[in-house]
Amino acid sequence: MGVSTFGGLQTALRGLLAQQRSLDVTSHNVANASTPGYSRQEAVLAASRPLHIAAGAVQNGGAAELGTGVDVLAYTRARDQFLDLQYRAQAMRLGGLSAQVEGLETVEGALAEPGENGISTQLQKFWSDWEDLANAPESQATRQALVESAEGLAASISSLDSQLVTAKEQAAAEYTSITQAGGEVEQMATEIAELNASIRSSLNSGATPNDLYDKRDLLLDKLSSLAQTSVTDLGNGTIEVDFGDAAVPLVAETTVTWPQALTEPQGKLGTLIELASPTGRIASYREELGAFAQELAESVNALHMSGGGPAFFSFTAGSAASTLAVNVSAAEVQTTATGAEGANDIALAIGALRGGKAESAYSSFVSRVGTDMNNARRAAENSEVLVNAVQERRESTSGVSLDEEMTNLVRFQRAYQASARAMTTFDEALDTLINRTGRVGL
Amino acid sequence: MPARITNAMVSRTVLYDLGSASRRLAQSERQLSSGKQLTRPSDNPFGVSRAIQLRGQLEATQQYRRNVNEGIGWTTATEAALTRITDVVQRARELLVEAGNDSNGAVARESVATEIDALTESLKQEANTTYEGRYVFAGTATETSPYALGGVDTFAGNAGSVPRVIGAGVAVAVNVSAREVLGEGQGAADNKLLDVMRDIAENLRGNTPADAEALRGTDLERLDTNLDNLTSVRAVVGATMNRLEGAGSRLDELEESGVDLLSKVEDADMAETLTSYTTEKTAYEAALKAGANIVQMSLLDFLH
Repeated sequence: MGVSTFGGLQTALRGLLAQQRSLDVTSHNVANASTPGYSRQEAVLAASRPLHIAAGAVQNGGAAELGTGVDVLAYTRARDQFLDLQYRAQAMRLGGLSAQVEGLETVEGALAEPGENGISTQLQKFWSDWEDLANAPESQATRQALVESAEGLAASISSLDSQLVTAKEQAAAEYTSITQAGGEVEQMATEIAELNASIRSSLNSGATPNDLYDKRDLLLDKLSSLAQTSVTDLGNGTIEVDFGDAAVPLVAETTVTWPQALTEPQGKLGTLIELASPTGRIASYREELGAFAQELAESVNALHMSGGGPAFFSFTAGSAASTLAVNVSAAEVQTTATGAEGANDIALAIGALRGGKAESAYSSFVSRVGTDMNNARRAAENSEVLVNAVQERRESTSGVSLDEEMTNLVRFQRAYQASARAMTTFDEALDTLINRTGRVGL
Repeated sequence: MPARITNAMVSRTVLYDLGSASRRLAQSERQLSSGKQLTRPSDNPFGVSRAIQLRGQLEATQQYRRNVNEGIGWTTATEAALTRITDVVQRARELLVEAGNDSNGAVARESVATEIDALTESLKQEANTTYEGRYVFAGTATETSPYALGGVDTFAGNAGSVPRVIGAGVAVAVNVSAREVLGEGQGAADNKLLDVMRDIAENLRGNTPADAEALRGTDLERLDTNLDNLTSVRAVVGATMNRLEGAGSRLDELEESGVDLLSKVEDADMAETLTSYTTEKTAYEAALKAGANIVQMSLLDFLH
């Protein structure tokens, strides 16, 4: 079988088209250089099916294959699924730790320690006021000052407690807003389900929906910072997404099942559940603060009532921090059990509580909050470094390098020009053949 | 194959490094502007709890210092009153020695007796001395005057002690009861000042040989015994005052070292902070400049 006279033109045309596709892809890459979640694409070129030339085509009488140019085999995206898995595991940790840092920052800020406005300073002032009263038990002004500073102290303790409650409620509210019907989780799940449908129909029609894959992967990245997210490929282009410890998969093919109850989902939602839980960290801070308030009130009351007087502080056992209040008026403040106006035994004894159990309870509370905060912040920083490292590797595989794209642009442009030149050459050759051949002597 | 470096990677790395440089800078700035190296419990949980403890100790020391000052005020008032009481008793003794001389007639004795009565009144007045509105000789009945002026000599105060706390668990009684010095008069026959003074006045007015004998003998002796008693009471007050003053200067030293210690734990070391601030600022500026150059650079700049 001979070779068509016009075969070379066809080869040059294939070259032109393939280089044009490559330029298109390069241009798409450059346009998406800063699109989040975008993976760089490539037009995979391969030599097209050669033309088989029957025996006798070459000198020694053998058969041969004549190249017919180039074809675009596929458009691929550069993506490493293993890095995606690593990224999602780290993003989940970081999501949890960042939420913890944010939650604890509220608590730490509410403490106002160390400083002039913290409870420790007010507590010292309270003891000093008792000693001042011991120095002048007859003085109404000193009693009044004592009652006022005690009221300030009680108010600070209960306001710290209510700030802790607020921090807890904020965590609960944030959890609800993310997980409620129509919330962040459901929105992302719905989008994933829709993408599943689009990807499936794209694949059915024989296309490779690279950009849809990228969009779906980006949504999975975002979901994974909220809770443990695991992905199962269902084979037809769709995926199943298991979210946290939800009983039913969040997304299966095109079905979304949400809202669902979560108990230990890890990630940001896991931290929010822990912070808001009645056995969680903030609740344990409240307990510790309550124990301090109760210790303070009980130790002062025991001495204050030793002469038969009223209790100095009133509180409800079990929620001492929120209910702590001064129970006496200035005139009812007891300074002595003996009844003499100048005696100061009770005032002295209460003043001597300084540096005692209540104070060490409070300072260990502050130190615990500080240590927790410190640990959380350090862990979050470490986790951020890890996320960055994975992100860096992912970026190295999938990211768009403008230098590379520019080089490709030059390469493809030159190849395009060369193909066009080849076509011109054929054209000229055919011109010679068709228009000038056989015109000898005309 | 070497790792591909993309533009987004470069920008992100630059951004991340700038972020951490600026965080470090902000930390130094916070330390510089607040003057504290501890501004939150998480800066150094152990340091913060130590700072809280030290601040508590410092506040306690300052309170003890106030207590000491109060005690010194109280004992000074006591001491002054006791000095005046001693003067009065000395004057009474002079009168007694003079009047014991038989050459004085009944009229002269009567006038001495009148002066003794006046001195007795002033003794009671001194015993009613107050410090900041409180009777210092009345025990813990500080709002009751210890003696009523006039003929009744009963002590209206009590034997309570007035302690001032001068250190953790250390209390010093700063008061002296007037009963120890003045007693409760003839009714109690306790040989204290009021009893003796009333007896002297009676003997001066008695005009019998026995009275004259008593004036020269027992009255003088009893007055001397009381002077001795006064001296020893004053010695106790003086010792208390010395103790308070000693405690005061010790507390001053403690306060100074407490402030110093707290500052070491809590305050930023300015020289060190300034140095690291400057270093961090330079590093940040350098990072900014380098970042600006790196991010700009691309093959695009060279292809035409």
